[in-house]
Amino acid sequence: MTVRIYEDLRQVQARVLLGQYLVLALLSLLAAHFWHLQVVRGREFREKAENNRTRLLPLAAPRGPLLDREGRLLVENQASFSVALTPEHSEDLDRSVRLLARLLRMSEGQIRERLARRSGPYRPVIVKSGISLAEVAALEARKLELPEVDVEIVPRRAYPLASAAAHSLGRVGEVSEIQLQQPAFAHLQPGDLVGQAGLEAQYNQRLMGRDGFRKVVVNSRGVEVAEAERQEPRDGPSLTLTLDGHLQAAMEQAFGGRAGSAVALDPQTGEILGMVSLPSFDPNGFTNGIDPALWSRLTSDPETPLMNRVIQGQYAPGSLFKVVASVAALEEGVITPATTFFCGGQITLYGTVFHCNRPEGHGLVDLHRALQMSCNVYFYQAGVRLEIERLSRWAKRLGLGLPTGVDLPHEAGGLMPSPEWKLRTQKTPWYAGETVSVAIGQGQVMVTPLQMARLTALVANGGRLVQPHLVRPGPGQPAGLPDPVDLHLKPETLAAVRAGLWAVVNEGGTGWRARIEGLDVCGKTGSAQVVARARLQKGGAPTSILPHAWFLSFAPREQARIALVVLVEHGGSGGEAAAPVARQILQAYLRRDAGPSLAPASRGAD
Amino acid sequence: MAIDRRLLLNLDWVTLAATLLLAAISVATIASATQGTRFGGLYLKQAGIFGAGLLVLVLVLSLDYRRLADRAPLLYLGAVVLLLYVLLFGPRVAGTKRWFFVAGVQVQPSELAKLAAALLLAKVFAEVRRDSLGLRDILLPGAAIGALALLIAAAPDLGTAFCLVPMFLSVALLAGLRARAILTLVLALAVVGGLGWRYALKDYQKERIYTFLDPQRDPRGTGYQKIQSQIAVGSGGLLGKGYRRGTQSQLGYLPARHTDFVFSVLAEEFGFLGVTVVLSLYLLIFWRGLETAAQARDRVGAFLATALVAVLAFQVVYNVAMVAGLVPVKGLPLPLMSYGGASLISSLLAIGLILNVRMRRFAN
Repeated sequence: MTVRIYEDLRQVQARVLLGQYLVLALLSLLAAHFWHLQVVRGREFREKAENNRTRLLPLAAPRGPLLDREGRLLVENQASFSVALTPEHSEDLDRSVRLLARLLRMSEGQIRERLARRSGPYRPVIVKSGISLAEVAALEARKLELPEVDVEIVPRRAYPLASAAAHSLGRVGEVSEIQLQQPAFAHLQPGDLVGQAGLEAQYNQRLMGRDGFRKVVVNSRGVEVAEAERQEPRDGPSLTLTLDGHLQAAMEQAFGGRAGSAVALDPQTGEILGMVSLPSFDPNGFTNGIDPALWSRLTSDPETPLMNRVIQGQYAPGSLFKVVASVAALEEGVITPATTFFCGGQITLYGTVFHCNRPEGHGLVDLHRALQMSCNVYFYQAGVRLEIERLSRWAKRLGLGLPTGVDLPHEAGGLMPSPEWKLRTQKTPWYAGETVSVAIGQGQVMVTPLQMARLTALVANGGRLVQPHLVRPGPGQPAGLPDPVDLHLKPETLAAVRAGLWAVVNEGGTGWRARIEGLDVCGKTGSAQVVARARLQKGGAPTSILPHAWFLSFAPREQARIALVVLVEHGGSGGEAAAPVARQILQAYLRRDAGPSLAPASRGAD
Repeated sequence: MAIDRRLLLNLDWVTLAATLLLAAISVATIASATQGTRFGGLYLKQAGIFGAGLLVLVLVLSLDYRRLADRAPLLYLGAVVLLLYVLLFGPRVAGTKRWFFVAGVQVQPSELAKLAAALLLAKVFAEVRRDSLGLRDILLPGAAIGALALLIAAAPDLGTAFCLVPMFLSVALLAGLRARAILTLVLALAVVGGLGWRYALKDYQKERIYTFLDPQRDPRGTGYQKIQSQIAVGSGGLLGKGYRRGTQSQLGYLPARHTDFVFSVLAEEFGFLGVTVVLSLYLLIFWRGLETAAQARDRVGAFLATALVAVLAFQVVYNVAMVAGLVPVKGLPLPLMSYGGASLISSLLAIGLILNVRMRRFAN
């Protein structure tokens, strides 16, 4: 080895020292940054790690089933599949959206729109509901490509009766943007199904139950490796309705495809035994969210199938109003059952000629005959004696022109005009001649079929105004119904009106077509002029100019078990078009009801 | 050839102990990061490579570093040939040509090139016996290192190529490079960098830099790695989630968790405490490495130790900063910790050379 002189390394040493401090400084800075990440921001990152490794999978609570009064299923649930996507778990969201769009036959825009509406990070978004088994298989086959996609089993609403009773039962649909802003729906997510009409909407909160969830640990491929937490869903409780499935079916059938509505009440309790509004719709078409084509077809249909005519249809009561006029006139003492008026086919009052429905006139008529033959002239004069204030007050007392408070959403009130109302809304005084029209149910009087059914029940049950309702009170059922309001009508009033209504059907009156041998059917015919509509549809189909045919009825005469109102739209005369429908319904109900048992085997005896 | 007893007495046992400790932590962390995956047995392989690396280290100790430095040009030439060979004939693995195989052993020329570069720089600058150096004086070594860097970058392996820059600068500075010259150099690098960005960088490399600046831009690409690594580190907290209990690593959210991101597994499972321990061990090795440079008996030794500390420290700082989300994601392993034979062997060789310089500081 060669001997070497030690080199002068002083400059080197000085700079090396600098290097040491540089390394120290850099590593200290890094340590400080780790302190910041791990200790200062530790909680934030722990939450992120937790969100990363866990997924919240909803366990949808099945909505409560709806049962008819005898426990038959009217609305149930069936398992269906939904596709949910959690964007945070996506490796390449654009690619996933493209792939999903192809597999589910949706547009990418539709998927993106749904993703944009979600409520918060790490919450799965329902991309499509009610997918087919083939689609489930296609998705499962691509599970590794789509770790962020989950197929959820969701109970789906099923309506085995299809369009029957659709308006009372209602329908479900995805919760709307507007609803989400209301406190009652605050806990829901876009894509959740809620009741959007009928009982489904009315009792939505109760029927929904409470969804549960599963918190699962997943690996980066989205494969579940463990369950961290589980909360079982609480099923929506079932709801027993007052509807009678058999009667409901008979009511639908009796219309034979015509448009119109009918409602049957238990006159003693106000229980709605059947409710029909035609044309109807199939609520099964809404359970996977609204199909835009179906929706626009239903909403643009001039026959308005989505409208519940029983509570939303507002019609002139026509001659049915004569029942109101009778009760009012008898109670106010302006007539007695024995009071007679002469009908010559027409009468001039306040300088105007008013016609009767029979041009040759009815001759001398008392109340009994006036109701039986539906004599207008009699009631014109009774109306003149009553005057509008008393008539209007009695109509309202009997439940006309006001919502009945039935447990369905969006009930219409109808209208019972009065001088005070006319002055307020039309700024013109009441003309005495208008009272004459109102007395026979024309003019501006508007009622719903349900209001008429309630009036019918009142006549049948001895003067008590019942609360129409669809959900049976009882244990496990929603609480509270107002008690019937007893109007304390005079027994003579009721007896006279009932006798008149009995004669309508059983003594060759206008409603003779509703007569059923052995059953004391009482009824009243009516026809509602549809002037406004006839004018609107100039040159339209001739049927659209025919008046609506009304028939109200109850049976039997004493201890009535059913109060029924039928309205056949543009049916013409109540006696010809509506009474036969009512007869068919009453027969189906009373014959069966009279039988010893409901068992199918015994029905052969009918 | 044999190491005489005097030299053994001067061996830096502290550095060696720190190295062993890091290796043990590395094997344990890799075992945790790979459990239950198809990489499950890799920690044993890493332990085996570490054993082999220690043997090579001892072998290197037995050679006087001055003899090695004397042969630097030859080693440099060998490195260039190997790099060219791998570029021309090496198999393409994951889009890069970084490795080739000799009898089933994976050889990564760029790792060996780093060592050759360190020896060459030490040798060349030691020959320049002036207190103050200008740009002209560093032209030749600069060109030599630059050529090597280009060959490595062509693999493409930008991370390793860039490691040569701090190595070169630290030695040049130590050798007396003037401040003005450094300024000029930095400016020149900026211009070259700008042109490189414009013409040389591949789109995926640019993309990485973009996503670094805005991680939300591509949350599942390289931004995803950064986000997941930060979550792993941050969620570790003060004391960590416990060995083999890191959710980010065990459930597969962390990418490259036994290689480039092994430090994030450590940070998640052992927390700030573990981070501090490992960073302290590195600091100890680098501190004593530079001490070795200061105490070296000659310029060659001082420059060699400095060059090696510079390259190791740069990798450690960059990798740890990357794991913490401070710098763009680059395929740069963490010396002594990341899984990978070439990196581990070359790191052990580097430490061996530093020990070599230190134990011969009194020898003549």
